[in-house]
Amino acid sequence: MDQHITDIKDPDIDYGSEPENIPLHQRPSISIRAKIAISFSLFFILSFTVTVWSYWILTKLEHKIEFLEIADNYMVEIQQARRFEKNYLLYRTDLDDALGHLKTADKILKNNSEKIEKILGPNHFNTMVSYMSKYHDQLILLGAAENDAAKEAIVPSLRQFGSQMVSFATEFVEKERISVTRMFLLAKRVPLYFMSAIFVLMVFVLVFLTRQLLLTLNRFMEYTKRIGEGDFSPITPARKYRDEFTKLAEAFNHMIKELDHKHNVLLESHKLRAIGTLVAGVAHELNNPLNNTLLTASMLTEDYEALSDEEKREMIDDVINETERAQRVVKNLLDFAREGETEMALLKIDKIVEDSTRLVVNQVRFAKVDLTLDCEPNLPLIAGDEQKLKQVFVNLILNAVDVLPPRGKIRINVKKDKVPGYVLITVEDNGPGIDEHIQGRIFEPFFTTKRRAKGTGLGLSVSRGIIKKLGGYIKLKSVPGKGTVFIVSLPATDSPSEIMSK
Amino acid sequence: MNEQPLKIMVIDDENIVGKRLKPALEKTGDIVEAFEEGETALARFAQEPFDIVVTDIRMEKIDGIEILERILAKSQRTKVIIITGYATVEIAREALSKGAFDFIAKPFKPSDLRQIIERASKELRS
Ligand SMILES: Nc1ncnc2c1ncn2[C@@H]1O[C@H](COP(=O)(O)OP(=O)(O)O)[C@@H](O)[C@H]1O
Ligand SMILES: [Mg+2]
Repeated sequence: MDQHITDIKDPDIDYGSEPENIPLHQRPSISIRAKIAISFSLFFILSFTVTVWSYWILTKLEHKIEFLEIADNYMVEIQQARRFEKNYLLYRTDLDDALGHLKTADKILKNNSEKIEKILGPNHFNTMVSYMSKYHDQLILLGAAENDAAKEAIVPSLRQFGSQMVSFATEFVEKERISVTRMFLLAKRVPLYFMSAIFVLMVFVLVFLTRQLLLTLNRFMEYTKRIGEGDFSPITPARKYRDEFTKLAEAFNHMIKELDHKHNVLLESHKLRAIGTLVAGVAHELNNPLNNTLLTASMLTEDYEALSDEEKREMIDDVINETERAQRVVKNLLDFAREGETEMALLKIDKIVEDSTRLVVNQVRFAKVDLTLDCEPNLPLIAGDEQKLKQVFVNLILNAVDVLPPRGKIRINVKKDKVPGYVLITVEDNGPGIDEHIQGRIFEPFFTTKRRAKGTGLGLSVSRGIIKKLGGYIKLKSVPGKGTVFIVSLPATDSPSEIMSK
Repeated sequence: MNEQPLKIMVIDDENIVGKRLKPALEKTGDIVEAFEEGETALARFAQEPFDIVVTDIRMEKIDGIEILERILAKSQRTKVIIITGYATVEIAREALSKGAFDFIAKPFKPSDLRQIIERASKELRS
């Protein structure tokens, strides 16, 4: 019978790759809190390191400067000792002067042994002390020598030890002086480097976090807009990691599910209400053939003997025809009320529209409006769900009926669209039209200008959903005071019309 | 009985209704004319008044309530019986408040209508 078309994919949805198609709960988790915590830890570690380092380097500098002071005193003493040694050799002055200075130098070393050792290490300290004591020994020997010749014999080793003692100390003092200068320079620069690093880090974190936050917030704003327009498909943000926004997305999806559910419940009740108004019409429509049948059958039994065969046959035919008429009414009602999935079939659009006008014939009659239907011949077939399409046109016609005064006009036109491959259905009325400022809102679910019991504001939103799903669109043109045209465009199929069963 | 035959008018846009009711109501010796349109029925009524008018309430151009009003405006004593497609209290109340003799809901048997007409004719002759 009907051709079923399955597996229609929405071209707007990218079924492809990356990270959208990884379920939210399976993404690795890095929360925004974690990101902020990491940044703060980085700040902290950095400042802590720099502070500790500064403390360390300042202590070290302190020691070095102390050392340099001691070393300076020591140097003065040993240089004095050597001066007096030379004076002694030249002029035979008192050698005790030299020894006295040496003794002071020795005292300096011994008193500050700890501090010096800290800088030089014990080995060098010992060498230093030993050079000095060797020199001291030579000086004692010199003083003890009996004659000039003996003294002359000691002089070379005395000089050697003396200069060794001085140059060893000088070398170290020089080295320490250079290192102190270097350390000062470093201590001056490191805070600067630190400041720049913090600054860069701050800017980076700020830019990164705000960018991420703002982008995500924007996305969520779009989601809410989408939901507002009645799109209840779950959201899948394109983020590689789970964070607070993932939780928000999950909360959103939960809400969407609930909304979708409630929406469906409401749709159901809307449908029931639509059926309610239809039922009044249908009752009338059904009671007419029933009445005809009952009257005819009653008369048939009442007058059976008196009736001619021809009259009997006519009456029996009437009974059959009227019963069939009742059957059709019931079928139409069932068709409209039937719940179900979208059942795609190849359809004759002109027939769908005509059936829809038949469904509302009583409302149209009751409102005393004039409905005309014009269909172009040889229309291509369309693919769609018969009941849902009828629902759309019934909605459009009833909307027009609702706003039209008696003797108002509804004109329905079915023709090929100027865009090849599409059919165009226009439902036009000469009612009050739609104010410009609400034209953008009438497709929103629950938007209605009708009294509470009369309108649910779901008709157009449901209709748009149905048409969109079939790849078509529905839009309107309205001039306040003149009337409204609803324009529905549906894609035609290229399938030949022979496929149709009827 | 030697009573004067009553003149009865039946208006319903379902032609089978007139077709069946005409012989059914004529059995009592009354005169029945059936119409499918309110306009022609009213035009006929203008020529000469009928005793009883049976009219459907929901019809294409002129509805039953309007027919009721226009007939009673012309002939106070005429009994108007309204046929409703489906019985609702409001329609019944409206019809009765506007002076209808009674109403009958579809679907009905000829005998149901005959009973109402009998009551109407009793009132007419009393
Ligand atoms: N043909 C029309 N003329 C004027 N206004 C219309 C027409 N069709 C729809 N509207 C407006 O659009 C609103 C939304 O329509 P709809 O979604 O069908 O919900 P409802 O009919 O339940 O109010 C209506 O309340 C009405 O204000
Ligand atoms: Mg509506």
